[in-house]
Amino acid sequence: MMKLLPTGFMDRFLGRGSAALTVPPLDGALKPNNLLEELPKGIAATAPDDIVLWNDAPLWSDAGKLVSQGGVLVEMSSDITALAVCGSNLAVATLQDGLLLLDSALQPITPEWSAPIQNITALATASDNDLWYCTGSETCTPTEWRRDLMEMNRTGHVGRIDLTTGEVRVLKRQLGYPAGIVVLPNGHVVFSETWASHLVEMSPEGKVLGHVFDEIPGYPGRITRRIGGGYWLCIFAPRSPLVEFVLREPAYRKAMLKEVAPEFWVAPNYRSGASFSEPMQGGALKQMGVLKPWAPTWSYGLVVALDADFIPTSSFHSRTGGRRHGITSSMEHDGKLWLTGRGSGEILNIQLQTEGSKT
Amino acid sequence: MSLADNIKKARYRWFPDHIVGEVLSKSWIDNAIPFTIMVIVVGIIGTLLPNFFTGSNISILARQYGELALVVLAMTTVILVGGIDLSVGSVFALGNFMMLYFLNLAEFSVTQSALLVVLICGSVGLVNGILVGYLRLRAFLTTLVTLIIVRAIVDLLLLEFAQDMSMSFYSSPLWDLMGLGSVWVFPFSFVVLAVIAIVAHITISRSGPGWRLQAIGGSRRSAHNMGLPVRRIVCSAYVISGMLAGIAGILYASRLSGAGTDTGLGLEVLALTAAILGGNSLGGGRGSVSKALMGTVTILVLTNGVLRLGLNSGSGPMVLGLALIFAVFVDVRWMKNRHKLLSKVYVSPTLMEMPKAQSTEDGPFEINNRLSDVDVIALGEVESPEDVILDEDDNLYSGNRHGDIIRYFPPDYKTHEVYAKIGGAPLGMSFDKDSNLLVCVGGMGLYMVAKADRKVSLVTDETNRSMFSIVDDSRLRLADDLDIAPDGKIYFSEATVRYEMHDWPVDALESRGNGRIICYDPATKTTRTVVRNLVFPNGICTAHDGKSILFAESWACQIKRYWLEGPQKGKTEIVLDKLPGYPDNINRASDGTYWVAIMGMRSPALDLALKMPAFRRRMARRIAADQWLFPNLNIGCVARFDDSGEVIESLWDRYGKNHPMITSMREHKGWLYLGGITNNRIGRVRLPGREESWTGWSSYWGAKSGRKS
Repeated sequence: MMKLLPTGFMDRFLGRGSAALTVPPLDGALKPNNLLEELPKGIAATAPDDIVLWNDAPLWSDAGKLVSQGGVLVEMSSDITALAVCGSNLAVATLQDGLLLLDSALQPITPEWSAPIQNITALATASDNDLWYCTGSETCTPTEWRRDLMEMNRTGHVGRIDLTTGEVRVLKRQLGYPAGIVVLPNGHVVFSETWASHLVEMSPEGKVLGHVFDEIPGYPGRITRRIGGGYWLCIFAPRSPLVEFVLREPAYRKAMLKEVAPEFWVAPNYRSGASFSEPMQGGALKQMGVLKPWAPTWSYGLVVALDADFIPTSSFHSRTGGRRHGITSSMEHDGKLWLTGRGSGEILNIQLQTEGSKT
Repeated sequence: MSLADNIKKARYRWFPDHIVGEVLSKSWIDNAIPFTIMVIVVGIIGTLLPNFFTGSNISILARQYGELALVVLAMTTVILVGGIDLSVGSVFALGNFMMLYFLNLAEFSVTQSALLVVLICGSVGLVNGILVGYLRLRAFLTTLVTLIIVRAIVDLLLLEFAQDMSMSFYSSPLWDLMGLGSVWVFPFSFVVLAVIAIVAHITISRSGPGWRLQAIGGSRRSAHNMGLPVRRIVCSAYVISGMLAGIAGILYASRLSGAGTDTGLGLEVLALTAAILGGNSLGGGRGSVSKALMGTVTILVLTNGVLRLGLNSGSGPMVLGLALIFAVFVDVRWMKNRHKLLSKVYVSPTLMEMPKAQSTEDGPFEINNRLSDVDVIALGEVESPEDVILDEDDNLYSGNRHGDIIRYFPPDYKTHEVYAKIGGAPLGMSFDKDSNLLVCVGGMGLYMVAKADRKVSLVTDETNRSMFSIVDDSRLRLADDLDIAPDGKIYFSEATVRYEMHDWPVDALESRGNGRIICYDPATKTTRTVVRNLVFPNGICTAHDGKSILFAESWACQIKRYWLEGPQKGKTEIVLDKLPGYPDNINRASDGTYWVAIMGMRSPALDLALKMPAFRRRMARRIAADQWLFPNLNIGCVARFDDSGEVIESLWDRYGKNHPMITSMREHKGWLYLGGITNNRIGRVRLPGREESWTGWSSYWGAKSGRKS
């Protein structure tokens, strides 16, 4: 069919397609449950962000600290924004110092990078010396992800680092906040393009091969491997029609960014409900003292199990009014799924059912 | 302040957006399209024909108009009831012939003949009516058969009597007046039409039979289910149709005094086109006399114009056919899209600049937890106690959303009974001098529960209609809270005149001055609006000195005073503004100050949106109401202020555990009782150091009268 007008224009005129404000429903494998909410109390943390398996035990970042079950191992000079294990070394991305490399004794051995690397949101190792990274945005740090969303930036990129030479190659630019990446068995990578709510598959040379999972009803973050095949995807905040609407209202959006304090924006968040100055939506009006679990919310807790083809098979939820919101990362080890709960300030773990047993 | 901002402000201040929606919600807006078509057709034909607008031409047209419009009215009557009458043309011809026959051959007087003709034509209608109404035959086929048979009868009669009739020529002053004369400048037929049209209009739009007629046209089955005599009414519509066609035939006879085989030929198509082109819905149930009259003007001018423009012989029917299909098209599209258009334009937010709120970090509104150890009354047993009140015997009363007033028994209020059944959601309450309970009921008005026998009676449910309102705003939609002045006059607030009670969020979205304060005077039993254009006026309270009333404007976050006497009488002034939340009910406190419930808190994102009406309008159109930005009614507080507008203290339930939201509070003997419209409980908290004997009723009506200020 001949296109007389650009699609975007027709969409805006008719309010459909890219201009539609609808958000995909939580349905099928994403059907809500209360599994996250019902977990026992986890290990307290102030701002847990990423978790990896280090020396056969979980190691997580808590603001600027690297923490294991035994306690604080080392403290960096600024907040840690991503972690990855590269053989016997540990790659640590920080707010101010960019990417650092620590040896097995957690002593810095950072080589000279061929280009500065900033605002790293996720790391993934392909081999001991081959590291993939996601830079969320050129202008906003990972702690300012809400600003990046509301400014509608598309300045993120995905790149690859040779840890021996320090060579940095950017393979894909102009992305809407890539915030999670995983290397597939065939050497390809899948990263989450968060503001577009989809997962993208890319060849090692940087050729985009397509969307492996799209129309995600939230903002997808980090992706990790499941033992026995498949992946875990952390969806750290929910999408909402009101946010979609505000994103299409430049005047209001810009005035809000300028005049309203960030914690009271119409924008998703890791946690919500703490202050009455946060915006409230109609469906969240309590009736007879009850906040309905399907009410609109600014924060949500959601971890999705994906199979090897990135098709969701099951999920763990913490719904509206719950506490276990803003799950930022996951790590499966020894039959347990470890999670960093940013919303509630906890390191949680879920006892996974063994293969084949169903209760 | 930039120029653009000023222009925007002026535009929202002076251009009444909400009127567009209100005009569209009127039923007469259906006339807009037929009226436009009529004006266009008259304009075009009038310009094309050189002497169209001359007196003689208008006079000739008006005479024809009278006859044609009567036939269209006949058709409209039947269309309204959901049928169709194709026999109008034949009946018209029959009426014409019979009239001439009675005058010329039977030598009856004009009056006798006319009555007989109306009877005969009515009986043809009766045949149609019985077949369609009682025997449930298809209207289209039945009246098609009548069309053919009556036409055949007329032709037979013509064959028999035409020669005799042409020999004689009847003449009388009345007959000449009917055919050629005028009443002042109006032709006789036009006057007859005017009288019939006025009667028909009043019948259809303002009387029971007319409403029943339209009800059947709208949905025959529903009309039957609700007990209407469907068959009889359908039948009578056809009888009326026959009679009207007969009258048109009489007028035609008087004008031309001749009967021919082509009399009234094709008239049914003409009448049908006119009726539909005027905007009468072919499906029935929607239509009016004015629509029929407009359609007739269009069709008459169109057919006459085509004739006089001297176009080809086929062009007349062609124009008629095109007009009919156009009318049907417009009818279908309009019916389908009208309510969509209305729902898109009715909500019309306005520009509202919220002043910077008083701080809740420090000062009198500093958040505390003084309501955390509230005694909870009737937890889970009451739903939506918007207001609470206590009488002199310490009984506690509240409304609930099931439409009752509940009474709780002292001292612990663990037991309760239904005090009175109202039937609507009771909101604000007050005791009068004789301890009768006055209550505002959402959607119903102001009611009274008598002290003696608990009899519920209506006090008032309407006020005077505003001078320039488009919609009728005399009926009370959302009476909210009331109080009684020392002279016994009842002042009550109506939060909004544009929405029903459960649509209050839409009113919040608009934030326009849609509400008003109304006064009911028991002495004269009259209700008058005293202050208009208030932004969701809610709580209302007579000042301690009785000289003024205080009322809260919820969405404007301010409290105002209306002077009842003194030099400022009749004037309104702001007492307390820049509130951090939305004020609800106001009630007296024991020390000469006032309690106000803050039902919800402001949020910066919503305050910003209030400055952007177009943003809010698009929000209302594009996303579901449960996704809209709302005033945050999940947390509130109780504050106390004095006559000068100084806030003295506030009581909060910081975590919303025991008493989440508050719409009203009453001080009574050292306790504060709390109600909330989304709550399932009533709260009670001990107020240390307050006067232990003070009650609300005695403050108003007691011997020493609690006037302290």
